[in-house]
Amino acid sequence: MKRLEGKRAVVTGGGSGIGRASAIRFAQEGALVLVVGRADNAEETASFIKANGGKASAMITDASVEANVEAIVARCISDLGGLEVFFANIGVTGTNTPLLEQTTEEWSEVYRINTISCFLAVKYAGRHMVAQRYGSIILTSSAASLRANAGAISYSASKAAVNNLAQTAANAFAGAGVRVNAVLPGLVETKLTSKVFEDARTRGIEGKLGHVTPLKRPGRAEEIAAAAAFLASDDSSYVDGQLLSVDGGVSSTHPYGRIALPNK
Amino acid sequence: MSGRFSGRVCVVMGAARGIGLAIAERFGSEGARLACLDVSGRRLGPAVEELQAKGFEARAYGVDVGRRDEVHGAFEAIRRDFESPIAALVNNAVFARFQRLDEIDTETAERMIGVGLLGLVWTTQAAVAQMLQRGGGAIVNLSSIAAEHPTKDAIVYAAVKAGVIGLSRASAIELCAQNIRVNAIAPGMIGTPASIAQYDDATIAKRRSEMPMGRFGEPEEIAALAAFLASDDASYVQGASVTADGGWTVPSR
Repeated sequence: MKRLEGKRAVVTGGGSGIGRASAIRFAQEGALVLVVGRADNAEETASFIKANGGKASAMITDASVEANVEAIVARCISDLGGLEVFFANIGVTGTNTPLLEQTTEEWSEVYRINTISCFLAVKYAGRHMVAQRYGSIILTSSAASLRANAGAISYSASKAAVNNLAQTAANAFAGAGVRVNAVLPGLVETKLTSKVFEDARTRGIEGKLGHVTPLKRPGRAEEIAAAAAFLASDDSSYVDGQLLSVDGGVSSTHPYGRIALPNK
Repeated sequence: MSGRFSGRVCVVMGAARGIGLAIAERFGSEGARLACLDVSGRRLGPAVEELQAKGFEARAYGVDVGRRDEVHGAFEAIRRDFESPIAALVNNAVFARFQRLDEIDTETAERMIGVGLLGLVWTTQAAVAQMLQRGGGAIVNLSSIAAEHPTKDAIVYAAVKAGVIGLSRASAIELCAQNIRVNAIAPGMIGTPASIAQYDDATIAKRRSEMPMGRFGEPEEIAALAAFLASDDASYVQGASVTADGGWTVPSR
Protein backbone atom coordinates (compact mmCIF):
# COMPACT_ATOMS: atom_id res chain seq x y z
CA MET A 1 0.00 0.00 0.00
CA LYS A 2 1.13 3.53 -0.71
CA ARG A 3 -0.86 5.54 1.81
CA LEU A 4 2.01 7.94 2.49
CA GLU A 5 3.02 8.69 -1.11
CA GLY A 6 4.98 11.94 -1.20
CA LYS A 7 4.51 12.66 2.52
CA ARG A 8 7.52 13.89 4.47
CA ALA A 9 7.96 12.08 7.80
CA VAL A 10 10.30 12.43 10.75
CA VAL A 11 10.90 9.33 12.88
CA THR A 12 12.93 9.85 16.04
CA GLY A 13 14.58 6.91 17.69
CA GLY A 14 14.81 5.62 14.15
CA GLY A 15 18.05 3.69 14.53
CA SER A 16 16.55 0.61 16.12
CA GLY A 17 13.43 -1.16 17.30
CA ILE A 18 10.03 0.42 16.75
CA GLY A 19 11.51 3.57 15.20
CA ARG A 20 13.54 1.62 12.65
CA ALA A 21 10.59 -0.60 11.74
CA SER A 22 8.34 2.45 11.41
CA ALA A 23 10.79 4.39 9.24
CA ILE A 24 10.99 1.36 6.94
CA ARG A 25 7.20 0.92 6.86
CA PHE A 26 6.59 4.64 6.19
CA ALA A 27 9.08 4.50 3.31
CA GLN A 28 7.44 1.35 1.93
CA GLU A 29 4.19 3.30 1.84
CA GLY A 30 5.81 6.06 -0.19
CA ALA A 31 6.96 8.55 2.45
CA LEU A 32 10.23 10.45 2.36
CA VAL A 33 11.67 9.74 5.79
CA LEU A 34 14.08 11.70 7.95
CA VAL A 35 15.49 9.06 10.28
CA VAL A 36 16.66 10.65 13.52
CA GLY A 37 18.86 8.91 16.06
CA ARG A 38 21.65 9.59 18.47
CA ALA A 39 24.02 7.09 16.87
CA ASP A 40 25.20 5.80 13.50
CA ASN A 41 22.42 3.25 13.34
CA ALA A 42 20.11 6.03 12.13
CA GLU A 43 22.35 6.19 9.04
CA GLU A 44 22.05 2.42 8.76
CA THR A 45 18.23 2.63 8.77
CA ALA A 46 18.29 5.31 6.07
CA SER A 47 20.76 3.27 3.99
CA PHE A 48 18.58 0.18 4.34
CA ILE A 49 15.55 2.15 3.11
CA LYS A 50 17.48 3.54 0.14
CA ALA A 51 18.91 0.11 -0.73
CA ASN A 52 15.34 -1.15 -0.90
CA GLY A 53 14.14 1.55 -3.26
CA GLY A 54 12.82 4.01 -0.68
CA LYS A 55 13.67 7.62 0.04
CA ALA A 56 15.33 8.59 3.31
CA SER A 57 18.00 10.65 4.91
CA ALA A 58 19.48 10.51 8.39
CA MET A 59 20.21 13.04 11.11
CA ILE A 60 22.33 12.24 14.14
CA THR A 61 21.03 14.28 17.04
CA ASP A 62 19.42 14.01 20.48
CA ALA A 63 15.69 14.57 20.01
CA SER A 64 15.13 15.35 23.69
CA VAL A 65 16.89 18.73 23.38
CA GLU A 66 14.78 21.73 22.36
CA ALA A 67 17.19 23.31 19.88
CA ASN A 68 17.72 19.93 18.25
CA VAL A 69 14.00 19.31 17.73
CA GLU A 70 13.66 22.74 16.15
CA ALA A 71 16.60 21.81 13.90
CA ILE A 72 15.03 18.43 13.02
CA VAL A 73 11.87 20.15 11.81
CA ALA A 74 13.88 22.72 9.85
CA ARG A 75 16.05 20.01 8.32
CA CYS A 76 13.05 17.94 7.23
CA ILE A 77 11.50 20.96 5.55
CA SER A 78 14.72 22.07 3.84
CA ASP A 79 15.98 18.62 2.77
CA LEU A 80 12.76 16.74 2.11
CA GLY A 81 10.66 19.74 1.10
CA GLY A 82 8.08 19.72 3.88
CA LEU A 83 6.72 17.93 6.94
CA GLU A 84 3.43 16.08 7.24
CA VAL A 85 4.19 13.35 9.78
CA PHE A 86 6.22 13.44 13.01
CA PHE A 87 6.64 10.22 14.97
CA ALA A 88 8.11 11.11 18.39
CA ASN A 89 9.52 7.80 19.48
CA ILE A 90 12.54 8.19 21.76
CA GLY A 91 12.47 6.77 25.26
CA VAL A 92 14.30 5.41 28.28
CA THR A 93 13.13 2.77 30.74
CA GLY A 94 14.00 4.27 34.12
CA THR A 95 15.27 1.97 36.85
CA ASN A 96 13.65 -0.52 39.14
CA THR A 97 15.03 1.17 42.25
CA PRO A 98 12.49 0.76 45.09
CA LEU A 99 10.08 3.69 45.04
CA LEU A 100 11.12 5.09 48.41
CA GLU A 101 14.73 5.32 47.24
CA GLN A 102 14.13 6.93 43.86
CA THR A 103 15.66 10.29 43.13
CA THR A 104 14.44 13.51 41.59
CA GLU A 105 17.38 13.25 39.18
CA GLU A 106 16.13 9.97 37.76
CA TRP A 107 12.57 11.25 37.42
CA SER A 108 13.72 14.46 35.75
CA GLU A 109 15.81 12.53 33.27
CA VAL A 110 13.07 10.02 32.43
CA TYR A 111 10.52 12.82 32.02
CA ARG A 112 12.93 14.86 29.92
CA ILE A 113 13.51 12.04 27.47
CA ASN A 114 10.08 10.37 27.44
CA THR A 115 7.68 13.26 27.96
CA ILE A 116 9.36 16.57 27.20
CA SER A 117 10.65 15.15 23.89
CA CYS A 118 7.00 14.65 22.95
CA PHE A 119 6.11 18.18 23.99
CA LEU A 120 8.95 19.48 21.80
CA ALA A 121 7.72 17.40 18.88
CA VAL A 122 4.21 18.75 19.33
CA LYS A 123 5.54 22.30 19.64
CA TYR A 124 7.87 22.45 16.65
CA ALA A 125 6.18 20.01 14.28
CA GLY A 126 2.84 21.47 15.37
CA ARG A 127 3.94 25.00 14.55
CA HIS A 128 4.68 24.02 10.97
CA MET A 129 1.64 21.76 10.62
CA VAL A 130 -0.83 24.28 12.05
CA ALA A 131 0.48 26.87 9.59
CA GLN A 132 -0.12 24.50 6.68
CA ARG A 133 -3.33 23.19 8.32
CA TYR A 134 -2.34 19.56 7.85
CA GLY A 135 -0.33 16.99 9.70
CA SER A 136 -0.23 13.93 11.92
CA ILE A 137 1.83 13.70 15.09
CA ILE A 138 2.27 10.30 16.71
CA LEU A 139 3.67 9.86 20.20
CA THR A 140 5.05 6.57 21.52
CA SER A 141 3.46 5.79 24.84
CA SER A 142 3.23 2.33 26.43
CA ALA A 143 0.85 -0.20 27.93
CA ALA A 144 2.68 0.77 31.14
CA SER A 145 0.96 4.16 30.94
CA LEU A 146 -2.36 2.52 31.83
CA ARG A 147 -1.33 0.02 34.49
CA ALA A 148 1.25 -0.49 37.21
CA ASN A 149 3.83 -3.28 37.09
CA ALA A 150 4.46 -3.11 33.36
CA GLY A 151 7.67 -1.10 33.65
CA ALA A 152 9.60 1.17 35.99
CA ILE A 153 7.50 3.57 38.03
CA SER A 154 9.05 6.71 36.55
CA TYR A 155 8.58 5.18 33.09
CA SER A 156 4.90 4.40 33.71
CA ALA A 157 4.22 7.90 34.98
CA SER A 158 6.13 9.59 32.17
CA LYS A 159 4.15 7.61 29.58
CA ALA A 160 0.83 8.46 31.27
CA ALA A 161 1.82 12.10 30.78
CA VAL A 162 2.40 11.35 27.09
CA ASN A 163 -1.16 10.01 26.82
CA ASN A 164 -2.52 13.20 28.27
CA LEU A 165 -0.33 15.28 25.98
CA ALA A 166 -1.82 13.48 22.96
CA GLN A 167 -5.27 14.49 24.19
CA THR A 168 -4.47 18.03 25.27
CA ALA A 169 -2.49 18.72 22.10
CA ALA A 170 -5.30 17.37 19.92
CA ASN A 171 -7.63 19.72 21.76
CA ALA A 172 -5.22 22.65 21.51
CA PHE A 173 -5.02 22.15 17.74
CA ALA A 174 -8.81 22.19 17.40
CA GLY A 175 -9.85 23.06 13.88
CA ALA A 176 -6.26 23.32 12.66
CA GLY A 177 -6.19 20.10 10.65
CA VAL A 178 -3.44 18.62 12.81
CA ARG A 179 -4.09 15.28 14.49
CA VAL A 180 -2.21 14.03 17.55
CA ASN A 181 -2.46 10.42 18.71
CA ALA A 182 -0.47 8.03 20.84
CA VAL A 183 0.44 4.41 20.16
CA LEU A 184 0.74 2.19 23.24
CA PRO A 185 2.95 -0.84 22.61
CA GLY A 186 3.00 -3.78 24.95
CA LEU A 187 6.11 -5.91 25.37
CA VAL A 188 8.20 -5.67 22.18
CA GLU A 189 11.85 -6.62 21.79
CA THR A 190 13.77 -3.37 21.31
CA LYS A 191 16.90 -1.79 22.70
CA LEU A 192 14.84 -0.74 25.73
CA THR A 193 13.65 -4.24 26.55
CA SER A 194 16.63 -6.28 25.32
CA LYS A 195 17.68 -7.10 28.89
CA VAL A 196 14.29 -8.67 29.62
CA PHE A 197 14.55 -10.82 26.51
CA GLU A 198 18.21 -11.75 27.09
CA ASP A 199 17.53 -12.71 30.71
CA ALA A 200 14.61 -14.89 29.65
CA ARG A 201 16.75 -16.62 27.02
CA THR A 202 19.60 -17.18 29.46
CA ARG A 203 17.19 -18.72 31.93
CA GLY A 204 15.52 -20.80 29.21
CA ILE A 205 12.11 -19.25 29.79
CA GLU A 206 11.78 -17.32 26.54
CA GLY A 207 8.42 -19.02 26.00
CA LYS A 208 7.10 -17.19 29.07
CA LEU A 209 7.63 -13.76 27.51
CA GLY A 210 4.31 -12.08 26.93
CA HIS A 211 2.45 -14.97 28.56
CA VAL A 212 0.22 -12.58 30.52
CA THR A 213 -1.15 -11.16 27.26
CA PRO A 214 -4.18 -12.81 25.68
CA LEU A 215 -2.17 -13.33 22.49
CA LYS A 216 0.43 -15.17 24.60
CA ARG A 217 3.46 -13.66 22.93
CA PRO A 218 5.47 -10.46 22.76
CA GLY A 219 4.79 -8.07 19.90
CA ARG A 220 7.10 -7.38 16.98
CA ALA A 221 8.38 -3.93 16.13
CA GLU A 222 6.74 -4.29 12.69
CA GLU A 223 3.34 -4.66 14.36
CA ILE A 224 3.75 -1.32 16.13
CA ALA A 225 5.00 0.19 12.87
CA ALA A 226 1.81 -0.95 11.11
CA ALA A 227 -0.28 0.90 13.70
CA ALA A 228 1.96 3.99 13.42
CA ALA A 229 1.54 3.90 9.63
CA PHE A 230 -2.23 3.82 10.07
CA LEU A 231 -2.08 6.84 12.42
CA ALA A 232 0.32 8.65 10.05
CA SER A 233 -1.88 8.10 7.02
CA ASP A 234 -5.22 9.58 6.01
CA ASP A 235 -6.76 6.20 6.83
CA SER A 236 -6.98 7.61 10.37
CA SER A 237 -8.29 11.00 9.23
CA TYR A 238 -11.08 11.07 11.86
CA VAL A 239 -8.94 9.60 14.67
CA ASP A 240 -7.67 12.41 16.91
CA GLY A 241 -6.52 12.55 20.53
CA GLN A 242 -6.66 8.76 20.85
CA LEU A 243 -4.56 6.15 22.61
CA LEU A 244 -4.14 3.10 20.38
CA SER A 245 -3.10 0.02 22.32
CA VAL A 246 -1.01 -2.50 20.36
CA ASP A 247 -0.30 -4.83 23.22
CA GLY A 248 -1.70 -8.27 22.44
CA GLY A 249 -4.72 -7.42 24.57
CA VAL A 250 -2.91 -7.03 27.88
CA SER A 251 -4.52 -3.69 28.73
CA SER A 252 -8.02 -4.98 28.03
CA THR A 253 -7.97 -7.76 30.60
CA HIS A 254 -6.91 -8.99 33.98
CA PRO A 255 -3.64 -10.94 33.65
CA TYR A 256 -4.56 -13.78 31.39
CA GLY A 257 -4.24 -17.42 32.24
CA ARG A 258 -3.81 -17.15 35.98
CA ILE A 259 -7.39 -17.90 36.93
CA ALA A 260 -8.72 -21.32 36.04
CA LEU A 261 -12.48 -21.22 35.62
CA PRO A 262 -14.47 -24.41 35.23
CA ASN A 263 -15.87 -24.79 31.73
CA LYS A 264 -19.28 -26.05 32.81
CA MET B 1 -4.21 -0.62 -3.54
CA SER B 2 -2.58 -3.93 -2.74
CA GLY B 3 -4.83 -6.41 -1.08
CA ARG B 4 -4.66 -6.86 2.65
CA PHE B 5 -7.82 -8.99 2.23
CA SER B 6 -6.82 -10.69 -1.00
CA GLY B 7 -8.89 -13.85 -1.42
CA ARG B 8 -10.40 -13.58 2.06
CA VAL B 9 -14.12 -14.00 2.66
CA CYS B 10 -15.24 -10.95 4.64
CA VAL B 11 -18.72 -10.64 6.12
CA VAL B 12 -20.19 -7.17 6.58
CA MET B 13 -23.36 -6.88 8.65
CA GLY B 14 -25.66 -3.95 7.85
CA ALA B 15 -23.97 -3.53 4.47
CA ALA B 16 -26.80 -1.88 2.53
CA ARG B 17 -25.87 1.71 3.29
CA GLY B 18 -23.87 4.17 5.37
CA ILE B 19 -20.88 2.91 7.30
CA GLY B 20 -21.56 -0.74 6.40
CA LEU B 21 -21.57 -0.04 2.67
CA ALA B 22 -18.40 2.05 3.00
CA ILE B 23 -16.75 -0.85 4.84
CA ALA B 24 -17.77 -3.29 2.09
CA GLU B 25 -16.33 -0.92 -0.54
CA ARG B 26 -13.06 -0.46 1.31
CA PHE B 27 -12.61 -4.17 1.97
CA GLY B 28 -13.48 -4.90 -1.65
CA SER B 29 -10.88 -2.42 -2.85
CA GLU B 30 -8.32 -4.35 -0.80
CA GLY B 31 -9.21 -7.65 -2.42
CA ALA B 32 -11.92 -9.03 -0.13
CA ARG B 33 -14.56 -11.48 -1.29
CA LEU B 34 -17.64 -9.79 0.16
CA ALA B 35 -20.60 -11.37 1.88
CA CYS B 36 -23.02 -8.50 2.43
CA LEU B 37 -25.85 -8.92 4.91
CA ASP B 38 -28.72 -6.62 5.74
CA VAL B 39 -32.21 -6.87 7.11
CA SER B 40 -33.52 -5.03 4.06
CA GLY B 41 -33.20 -7.06 0.88
CA ARG B 42 -34.75 -4.13 -0.99
CA ARG B 43 -31.88 -1.81 -0.07
CA LEU B 44 -29.19 -4.50 -0.15
CA GLY B 45 -29.77 -5.66 -3.74
CA PRO B 46 -28.85 -2.36 -5.44
CA ALA B 47 -25.95 -1.82 -3.02
CA VAL B 48 -24.42 -5.18 -3.88
CA GLU B 49 -24.97 -4.57 -7.59
CA GLU B 50 -23.05 -1.33 -7.14
CA LEU B 51 -20.19 -3.24 -5.47
CA GLN B 52 -20.16 -5.80 -8.28
CA ALA B 53 -20.09 -2.99 -10.85
CA LYS B 54 -16.86 -1.81 -9.21
CA GLY B 55 -15.37 -5.20 -9.95
CA PHE B 56 -15.68 -6.72 -6.48
CA GLU B 57 -16.89 -10.24 -5.78
CA ALA B 58 -19.97 -9.58 -3.66
CA ARG B 59 -23.04 -11.56 -2.68
CA ALA B 60 -26.19 -10.39 -0.89
CA TYR B 61 -27.92 -12.14 1.99
CA GLY B 62 -31.09 -10.80 3.55
CA VAL B 63 -31.06 -11.70 7.23
CA ASP B 64 -32.55 -10.52 10.50
CA VAL B 65 -29.48 -10.53 12.75
CA GLY B 66 -31.73 -10.66 15.80
CA ARG B 67 -32.75 -14.20 14.87
CA ARG B 68 -30.17 -16.85 15.73
CA ASP B 69 -31.51 -19.43 13.26
CA GLU B 70 -31.51 -16.96 10.37
CA VAL B 71 -27.95 -15.89 11.12
CA HIS B 72 -26.64 -19.45 11.27
CA GLY B 73 -28.52 -20.28 8.06
CA ALA B 74 -27.04 -17.28 6.23
CA PHE B 75 -23.50 -18.07 7.38
CA GLU B 76 -23.87 -21.67 6.18
CA ALA B 77 -25.00 -20.31 2.81
CA ILE B 78 -21.95 -18.04 2.71
CA ARG B 79 -19.69 -21.05 3.38
CA ARG B 80 -21.30 -22.92 0.48
CA ASP B 81 -21.39 -20.00 -1.97
CA PHE B 82 -17.81 -18.88 -1.45
CA GLU B 83 -16.48 -22.42 -0.98
CA SER B 84 -14.18 -21.00 1.68
CA PRO B 85 -14.53 -20.24 5.39
CA ILE B 86 -15.04 -16.71 6.69
CA ALA B 87 -11.83 -14.81 7.49
CA ALA B 88 -13.23 -11.53 8.79
CA LEU B 89 -16.51 -10.36 10.29
CA VAL B 90 -17.60 -6.76 10.75
CA ASN B 91 -20.58 -6.35 13.06
CA ASN B 92 -22.12 -3.09 11.92
CA ALA B 93 -25.83 -3.92 12.07
CA VAL B 94 -27.87 -1.88 14.52
CA PHE B 95 -31.45 -0.95 15.26
CA ALA B 96 -31.46 2.44 16.95
CA ARG B 97 -34.24 4.56 18.36
CA PHE B 98 -33.72 7.49 20.68
CA GLN B 99 -36.45 7.67 23.30
CA ARG B 100 -37.00 9.48 26.57
CA LEU B 101 -37.03 7.13 29.55
CA ASP B 102 -40.82 7.27 29.93
CA GLU B 103 -41.30 6.53 26.23
CA ILE B 104 -39.21 3.36 26.11
CA ASP B 105 -41.47 0.48 25.14
CA THR B 106 -40.78 -3.23 25.35
CA GLU B 107 -40.90 -3.89 21.63
CA THR B 108 -38.38 -1.18 20.68
CA ALA B 109 -36.01 -1.94 23.55
CA GLU B 110 -36.02 -5.66 22.85
CA ARG B 111 -35.46 -5.06 19.15
CA MET B 112 -32.48 -2.76 19.87
CA ILE B 113 -30.89 -5.27 22.22
CA GLY B 114 -31.76 -8.18 19.93
CA VAL B 115 -30.13 -6.64 16.86
CA GLY B 116 -27.37 -4.51 18.39
CA LEU B 117 -26.13 -6.85 21.10
CA LEU B 118 -27.48 -10.40 20.94
CA GLY B 119 -27.11 -10.29 17.17
CA LEU B 120 -23.35 -9.98 17.68
CA VAL B 121 -23.38 -13.14 19.78
CA TRP B 122 -25.09 -15.04 16.95
CA THR B 123 -22.81 -13.75 14.18
CA THR B 124 -19.72 -14.36 16.33
CA GLN B 125 -20.90 -17.91 17.03
CA ALA B 126 -21.52 -18.61 13.35
CA ALA B 127 -18.33 -16.93 12.10
CA VAL B 128 -15.97 -18.47 14.65
CA ALA B 129 -17.02 -21.97 13.64
CA GLN B 130 -15.72 -21.17 10.15
CA MET B 131 -12.65 -19.22 11.26
CA LEU B 132 -11.49 -22.34 13.10
CA GLN B 133 -11.44 -24.16 9.76
CA ARG B 134 -8.84 -21.71 8.44
CA GLY B 135 -6.79 -21.34 11.61
CA GLY B 136 -8.02 -17.94 12.76
CA GLY B 137 -9.68 -14.69 11.82
CA ALA B 138 -10.57 -11.17 12.86
CA ILE B 139 -13.78 -9.63 14.15
CA VAL B 140 -14.51 -5.91 14.29
CA ASN B 141 -17.52 -4.70 16.28
CA LEU B 142 -19.07 -1.26 15.89
CA SER B 143 -19.64 0.37 19.26
CA SER B 144 -20.11 4.13 19.69
CA ILE B 145 -18.78 6.97 21.79
CA ALA B 146 -22.29 6.78 23.32
CA ALA B 147 -20.97 3.81 25.33
CA GLU B 148 -19.05 6.21 27.54
CA HIS B 149 -20.30 9.63 26.48
CA PRO B 150 -24.02 9.31 25.84
CA THR B 151 -26.21 12.16 24.72
CA LYS B 152 -29.79 12.43 25.97
CA ASP B 153 -32.56 10.03 24.98
CA ALA B 154 -29.94 7.32 24.55
CA ILE B 155 -30.47 5.03 27.54
CA VAL B 156 -31.00 1.83 25.57
CA TYR B 157 -28.61 2.84 22.79
CA ALA B 158 -25.79 3.60 25.25
CA ALA B 159 -26.46 0.32 27.07
CA VAL B 160 -26.29 -1.62 23.81
CA LYS B 161 -23.09 0.11 22.68
CA ALA B 162 -21.42 -0.27 26.10
CA GLY B 163 -22.45 -3.91 25.88
CA VAL B 164 -20.62 -4.17 22.56
CA ILE B 165 -17.38 -3.13 24.29
CA GLY B 166 -17.78 -5.78 27.00
CA LEU B 167 -18.77 -8.38 24.43
CA SER B 168 -15.71 -7.51 22.31
CA ARG B 169 -13.25 -7.70 25.17
CA ALA B 170 -14.69 -10.93 26.54
CA SER B 171 -14.70 -12.45 23.04
CA ALA B 172 -11.09 -11.36 22.60
CA ILE B 173 -10.08 -13.24 25.71
CA GLU B 174 -12.11 -16.33 24.93
CA LEU B 175 -11.06 -16.59 21.27
CA CYS B 176 -7.38 -15.71 21.66
CA ALA B 177 -6.31 -19.33 21.82
CA GLN B 178 -8.01 -19.89 18.45
CA ASN B 179 -5.98 -17.08 16.84
CA ILE B 180 -9.04 -14.87 16.47
CA ARG B 181 -8.73 -11.18 17.22
CA VAL B 182 -11.72 -9.11 18.34
CA ASN B 183 -11.64 -5.33 18.52
CA ALA B 184 -14.17 -2.51 18.66
CA ILE B 185 -14.59 0.85 16.97
CA ALA B 186 -16.29 3.76 18.69
CA PRO B 187 -17.32 6.27 16.02
CA GLY B 188 -18.41 9.77 16.93
CA MET B 189 -20.88 11.69 14.78
CA ILE B 190 -20.69 10.30 11.27
CA GLY B 191 -22.38 12.24 8.52
CA THR B 192 -24.56 9.49 7.13
CA PRO B 193 -28.01 10.60 5.98
CA ALA B 194 -29.54 8.47 8.77
CA SER B 195 -27.55 10.18 11.51
CA ILE B 196 -27.90 13.71 10.16
CA ALA B 197 -31.67 13.31 9.85
CA GLN B 198 -32.00 12.88 13.62
CA TYR B 199 -30.95 16.43 14.42
CA ASP B 200 -32.01 19.96 13.64
CA ASP B 201 -29.58 22.48 12.15
CA ALA B 202 -28.89 24.20 15.47
CA THR B 203 -27.94 20.93 17.16
CA ILE B 204 -25.69 20.01 14.26
CA ALA B 205 -23.94 23.39 14.38
CA LYS B 206 -23.46 23.07 18.15
CA ARG B 207 -22.03 19.57 17.84
CA ARG B 208 -19.59 20.69 15.16
CA SER B 209 -18.42 23.54 17.33
CA GLU B 210 -17.64 21.09 20.15
CA MET B 211 -15.40 18.92 18.01
CA PRO B 212 -11.66 19.68 17.87
CA MET B 213 -11.70 18.74 14.19
CA GLY B 214 -14.81 20.84 13.66
CA ARG B 215 -16.59 18.36 11.42
CA PHE B 216 -18.50 15.10 11.37
CA GLY B 217 -16.71 11.99 10.18
CA GLU B 218 -17.26 10.30 6.85
CA PRO B 219 -18.27 6.64 6.56
CA GLU B 220 -15.06 6.04 4.59
CA GLU B 221 -13.02 7.15 7.61
CA ILE B 222 -14.62 4.47 9.77
CA ALA B 223 -14.12 1.97 6.95
CA ALA B 224 -10.38 2.73 6.86
CA LEU B 225 -10.14 2.04 10.60
CA ALA B 226 -12.16 -1.16 10.27
CA ALA B 227 -9.81 -2.27 7.49
CA PHE B 228 -6.79 -1.70 9.72
CA LEU B 229 -8.29 -3.66 12.61
CA ALA B 230 -9.48 -6.54 10.41
CA SER B 231 -6.16 -6.82 8.55
CA ASP B 232 -2.86 -8.39 9.59
CA ASP B 233 -1.56 -4.85 10.13
CA ALA B 234 -3.34 -5.09 13.50
CA SER B 235 -1.89 -8.51 14.33
CA TYR B 236 -0.94 -7.44 17.88
CA VAL B 237 -4.10 -5.40 18.53
CA GLN B 238 -6.47 -7.45 20.66
CA GLY B 239 -9.47 -6.49 22.79
CA ALA B 240 -8.95 -2.82 21.96
CA SER B 241 -11.53 -0.13 21.41
CA VAL B 242 -10.50 2.59 18.98
CA THR B 243 -12.38 5.87 18.96
CA ALA B 244 -12.80 7.83 15.72
CA ASP B 245 -14.66 10.98 16.65
CA GLY B 246 -12.50 13.86 15.46
CA GLY B 247 -11.44 14.36 19.07
CA TRP B 248 -14.99 15.13 20.20
CA THR B 249 -14.77 13.21 23.48
CA VAL B 250 -11.21 14.29 24.29
CA PRO B 251 -12.03 17.60 26.01
CA SER B 252 -14.51 17.62 28.88
CA ARG B 253 -17.72 19.12 27.66
